[in-house]
Amino acid sequence: MPDIFISDLKDEKRKAAVQPKTKSQLENAEGHSHNLFSAFYLWPEKVDFETKEDEEKVVLLLRRHLITNVGWILMAIAMVLAPMVITRFPILDFLPGNYRFIAVLFWYMITTAYTLEQFLDWYFNVYIVTTERVIDIDFVNLIYKEVSDADINKIQDVTYKMGGVIRTMFNYGTVLIQTAGEVENFDFEDVPNPTKVTSILQDLRLKEEREDHPGALG
Amino acid sequence: MSNIPFLNISIWTIVKIFVLIGFAIYGVFAVVLVRQVKLMTETLDAGLDEFVKFLSYVHLAFAILVFVLALIIL
Repeated sequence: MPDIFISDLKDEKRKAAVQPKTKSQLENAEGHSHNLFSAFYLWPEKVDFETKEDEEKVVLLLRRHLITNVGWILMAIAMVLAPMVITRFPILDFLPGNYRFIAVLFWYMITTAYTLEQFLDWYFNVYIVTTERVIDIDFVNLIYKEVSDADINKIQDVTYKMGGVIRTMFNYGTVLIQTAGEVENFDFEDVPNPTKVTSILQDLRLKEEREDHPGALG
Repeated sequence: MSNIPFLNISIWTIVKIFVLIGFAIYGVFAVVLVRQVKLMTETLDAGLDEFVKFLSYVHLAFAILVFVLALIIL
């Protein structure tokens, strides 16, 4: 029986969501890198997470764009330099020398804690797209974590928002995912290359649909 | 050195006690940070786990060192 409808989507367009079979394909995949600080990590090799199933493959690991860290990095630099500036003024002169020394040490401890917290916040608050699910890992404060996930076939709509000079210049934005699961909305905030993220998610949805209804999409 | 009249102890002794309490609280925070990093690395393994754990232990060591230093030199 001839096909009534054949999808126009060629494999070329779906390349990103197709798992590379060889090492060279993996190395050439756009978005694949070995940089551990990458905010857009396609087909990461070393990423593992608590609830990962054996057959599940991580397609994409996303963090907030690197540029979103500039604020706290500048703040940390200012905090490091502050004691050097303050010692030029007689603000702490009422304190004995040993107290002044401890005060400076204490200040650097606060600076270290601030820097470490900000870095951990950026590094571990991630969005993961696997061949089966989308996962949002959030560490809200020191001891509270929230991990939400939704199956790819539960995704109903994927849109992205990218506005403002900085976002347009550095190509990052928020990807909004509506699902039919328990968690209705996923917001991938300030992730790099939202167009590509949206297209990868749509490709994965198509793939899942094809698997669920083999004859439906040609 | 100025003394508090009715307690007959130096004002700097009182300040030292408050400073040490502050550093002790900071020490607790440093321990919580180590726990937090452990929790984070258990949840997500993204390649930098050992380095981040090392940083959290260095931070804890730094907090303990400053507490001991304050105890000795103040």
